[in-house]
Formats: sequence, structure tokens, C-alpha cells
Amino acid sequence: MKEFLKGNYKVDTEIKESVDDERSQLETEFERKALSRLGGSICFVSKKSFIWNGDQAAQPQLQGEAQPEASRADTEDRADAEIKGA
Amino acid sequence: MTDLGRRIAKTLEGATFERIAAAGLANAELNQPSIRRSVLELGGERLGEGDAALVVSAGPSLRRRGSLERLRASGFRGTIVAADGALGACLRAGVVPHVVVSVDPHRGRIVRWFGDPALSAAPADDYFRRQEMDAAHSRDELGANRALVELVNRHGPEIRAAVATSAAPEVTARCAQAGMALYWWNPMYDDYEAAESLSRRLHRLNGLPCINGGGNVGTAAWVLAHAVLGKRRVGIVGMDLSYPPDTPYEKTQYYPELVELFGDGFKDAFIHVENPALGETWFTDPAYYWYREVFLQMAAEAGCDTYNCTEGGLLFGPGIHTVALEEFVQAVGKGS
Repeated sequence: MKEFLKGNYKVDTEIKESVDDERSQLETEFERKALSRLGGSICFVSKKSFIWNGDQAAQPQLQGEAQPEASRADTEDRADAEIKGA
Repeated sequence: MTDLGRRIAKTLEGATFERIAAAGLANAELNQPSIRRSVLELGGERLGEGDAALVVSAGPSLRRRGSLERLRASGFRGTIVAADGALGACLRAGVVPHVVVSVDPHRGRIVRWFGDPALSAAPADDYFRRQEMDAAHSRDELGANRALVELVNRHGPEIRAAVATSAAPEVTARCAQAGMALYWWNPMYDDYEAAESLSRRLHRLNGLPCINGGGNVGTAAWVLAHAVLGKRRVGIVGMDLSYPPDTPYEKTQYYPELVELFGDGFKDAFIHVENPALGETWFTDPAYYWYREVFLQMAAEAGCDTYNCTEGGLLFGPGIHTVALEEFVQAVGKGS
């Protein structure tokens, strides 16, 4: 409640937090924390795209710059590997 | 039955942020020195043939339907993308995925999906024993772990790991140790257009793309298949997002948390839904129900056709074709 009562004057009456308000805030906080234990392992952001890669401005470079280590031959050879594609 | 579960599910977008943002960002900082490649580079690699991919998730239908054995027999030559929890089942079935996806920031649990070389005693945490996600773990945790370490070490060099910066350093180190090439991305934590957006700050820090993950690693793998790899036809196996009718509540993923929250009334948080294709009523908890609602929302926007070949569970609705695995493989021409 106190955060909503601000001004450039003083009032004679002392404003006290009601016990009910405090309890309500605590319960809400507890509920929020408790429910967070049921959440997932990655966020979902509704109404947003699948991928966001910045605003097309200058992009910072990855450390060490990208250098693919796996060769194309390596991936193609998989066709002959144990699974035959599955 | 009450609406408690559905009401809780509506809160989980914010609750998930509460649950994982701090840990995910802390892990991103620890992972920073190891980051070399962006996940976008996977789009330029030849991973399987054609425009089809199959996402392997770790739900109970994977074993109940023999999906991996059937996949191996089907001759599918498209791209195989596995959620981390399904990696062990894939390798044991002789299916080596082109890509494995990992995102969960938990520093003790997730490394087990890759075989934890440091595990010397069965842990007090019953996460693996309690659930049906991988029955091999529940029977003999240490023996299954040792076998998985060997399998992952043997096949690691054939597998690309698409790891989120939120993933535990123990996981990313294990992937590298097993010879996997790591491709990095940021989870999209919040609205990148908002002031003080965490996603934006993280992107500024490491230059990696932010991917909207959909709540769980299986959905993140599906997003990767079409939005990063550019696959136009994406099949799914093992994505039940629910529990088979005969599953004891004690064997469900969020059972301890629900009991702690609701005491004896925990059963009210479960949601029972009939799958019309199966004629069976499966049940789900608020988290999995939220994943399902999110997936349906995302599927409506996706630039791919989605084929659910799970043959179980509750992932059905607009934008999702429900087909048998062999039908999907035939429809996509075995990857050609």
C-alpha cells in the first residue's frame, strides 16, 4: 500500500500496512514460487517468432568465430553407417 | 474432476521463467568460453536426405509402440533429431540421431541422458527410477549408466549436439568429451522487443540466435527441425505429453511437487482427456497440458507439416496430422 501513497506533503495520520495486505502479498509470493516448480525446462514466449537473431544491426561475433569441425564427408558417410538412415 | 489443472496450466508461461531463467543465465555465463558455433550453421550441413525430419521424444509410447525398432526397419533416410532424454533409447535401438537437443539447466540430472562417467552410486534423487521415460534407468541405474557411457562415447563423433546456452556445463562438457560437435543457441526467455529484455541482453552478449522453445526439449527439437534445419515435413515419435491410462500417479514427473502443493487433493490437478484416434483416455499434469496447448499454438504458425506418429498421448488437434510411423515414412518417400 505504501508505494501508492506518495506526495509532497505530510499527513497527520500515520498510514499502516494492514496485516491482511501483507499476508496477501506473502501468499501471492508463495504461490508464485510454488507454481514455478511445475514449470517447464525452457520458456515459451507467446506471439513471438520461432527464431530471433537480432535486429539486423551489426552482430557480435561468436568467440573464436565459427569454424565447422565436422567435414561434409563425415555426414555423407553416415548413409553407410549402422542405421542406414534410421 | 476439477479445472484446477487447466487453471494452473495457464500460469506456467510465467512460472517457467521463474523456474529456469536464473539458472539458465548462470549456465550461459559458464558455457561462454566453450561457444564456437551457432546452431544456424546446422542449416548448411547435410544431415540426412530430403525435406523430412523425424523428432524423437522420450514419452512412454516410444517403448510401448516400438517406435525406434520400427523406425530402423522403415528405411527412413531423412534427418533424425532426438531430445536428450531419448538419446539412450535411440542408441540402444541402433538409431543414431543426426542431432541431439539439450536445454534444461538442471546441473545434476540431465547429464545422465548422455551417460555420466562420474556416477558411482545410485543417487538419492529418484527422478529416473520414478518415471517410465527410460525403463532401463529404473531397473539398474548404475549398469544402465555404464552402458550408456560406452554407447555415447562410441557414437558421439557421429552426432551433432544442438545445445542451449542454458544447458548445464556438465552436459555440454560431456557432449564435447564424447566427441560431439556442439552448436549453440539461446532459449528465448521473454519478449525481445520489450525494454530490458533478457533475451536481447543475452543475444548482445554472445551473438547467438534465440529460439522459442515451447516449454520442453521435445518441442524445442521440433522447432529446430523446421525453423533451423528448414525441414518442411516433420514427423514426431514419443511425444505423448501425457501418461497412459494405467500409470500410477506416483510415477508421473511432477508428482512430488503436486503433493507438496495440494496435499491429498493432488489428484485434482491431473487432467483426463480422451484421444479420439485411440479411443483411450490418457491423463496429464498441468505442465504437460501446457506443453500441449503451446505446441498446438506453435503448429498453427509453423512453416512445416507436422505428423504425429507417436500413436499414443494427447498431441492432436488443428495443424497436426495423426498417422502411423510407416505412413509418414512412405509419404515422405524415405527421405528422397
